[in-house]
Amino acid sequence: MTPVNELTYTEAVGELEKILAYLQSDKCDIDKLTACTRRASELLKECRTRLTATDEELRQILATLQNQ
Amino acid sequence: MTTPTQYYSLLQLQEALRDLVAAYPMVQNVWIVAELSDVNERGGHCYMELLQKDPATGQNLAKARATIWSNNWRRIRAEFMHATGQPFAAGLKVMVCVSAGYHPVYGMNLNITAVNTSFTLGERERRRREILERLKREGVIDCNKQLEFPRPTQRIAVITSATAAGYGDFRNQLLLNDSRLRFDVKLFPAIVQGAQTAPSVIAALDTIAAEMDKWDCVCIIRGGGASTDLDGFDDYALAANVAQFPLPVIVGIGHERDTTVLDYIACQRVKTPTAAAEFLLGLGDRELAELQTLASAILQNVSDTLAGAREQLSYLAGKLPAAPGQAIANAGKRLDRAALALSGISASRIQPLRARLDRVADAIGAATAARTQKAAMQLDKFSALIDALSPQATLRRGFSISRINGAALTDPSQAPAGSTIETILANGTIKSIVS
Repeated sequence: MTPVNELTYTEAVGELEKILAYLQSDKCDIDKLTACTRRASELLKECRTRLTATDEELRQILATLQNQ
Repeated sequence: MTTPTQYYSLLQLQEALRDLVAAYPMVQNVWIVAELSDVNERGGHCYMELLQKDPATGQNLAKARATIWSNNWRRIRAEFMHATGQPFAAGLKVMVCVSAGYHPVYGMNLNITAVNTSFTLGERERRRREILERLKREGVIDCNKQLEFPRPTQRIAVITSATAAGYGDFRNQLLLNDSRLRFDVKLFPAIVQGAQTAPSVIAALDTIAAEMDKWDCVCIIRGGGASTDLDGFDDYALAANVAQFPLPVIVGIGHERDTTVLDYIACQRVKTPTAAAEFLLGLGDRELAELQTLASAILQNVSDTLAGAREQLSYLAGKLPAAPGQAIANAGKRLDRAALALSGISASRIQPLRARLDRVADAIGAATAARTQKAAMQLDKFSALIDALSPQATLRRGFSISRINGAALTDPSQAPAGSTIETILANGTIKSIVS
């Protein structure tokens, strides 16, 4: 599997949708559940990280805005 | 050369011209159409140049100074603003009521007493329609509208004036959002009012296009300052650039009621810079919401699958204690069935075999009896023969056997005188001494 940080956002969301479709299908194998869940949580975390700023980034933004 | 005796002073000439102009009806209180240029306000009066350009070359065909005196200017300025939503300013094509006047010092001047605002509105509409129809003919009018905003849309190239108040608001709103959405905003400065608007914005677009990999979309914004006009945006070259721009363009120019030709061709039109920020925040929030939906759905499905598996396990666990007994009972039943089947088989297959065995046994019995009888008869015959030939029978017929020292006596030399011999008769033994 491609490491999540090498995926584009769209690819990551696409993979999440695929995982969901797999979980919803009757092909879902209980042995793969842990792997699926772990991958999904990694993908979600990566996507959220890309969308939102960290505390440090927010502090920097505030600093630049105040300096204007 | 002789000096003419009859001549006028300059003032006399100018006054004559003044009177001539004032008395000529065609140049008094007439409506004319012209383009405004160099409009400026001094001492409560409004001064400007009126132009007529060659549509093909853009060169001036006619030019005249014009003035709106303060007594009219206050009213006209307010009326014009109210009706057209924009100030009476350079670049506009206007229909004005003028009276020509000739001043001995200042020369020819057109005194404007009224402005037809419907003409300006109509003129603007006509220009827009023209631009839009041309873009449509060229097949590019919907190009930018058909672009989709990338996912996620975070890197925003902003075209506006660096000093515009709208930019600060936009930036603050975008960067300090409640959802902590991350944005990368860069300003590409441009002039966003007056005649330089179109070339300046096009230059900024070119700069962005040269590094378009770095950006997700373009925002052309301008706070709707009251003293500036928007007509600079109603420009064919600018519209064509925006329509064919490779990144989605968000246009947020001016206030609620302002529209420009860009509003009809940009991927997204919003009213104000603030609304542009809100739109981008909306895109980001939708992404976050979609992630949340996916996360919930995945969690739900994993829980359901696990619950299903647990249920299956507990069902199996409940079944398991009874299973061996059930298995034994089943096996017993199978054995019974087998036995039943076997007995059927014995009936059908062993019976004939048994009958055959019985027949064989009978035959053997019969054969044995016959052989036994025959043997018995033979034995009887042998017995009689043996009887006839036995020493006993010989003895009974009067013969005897003599023995000496246990051995049969067959020669007289065996029995010297004085020895004892034994004579065996049929019914006893005699001992005698040889003499």
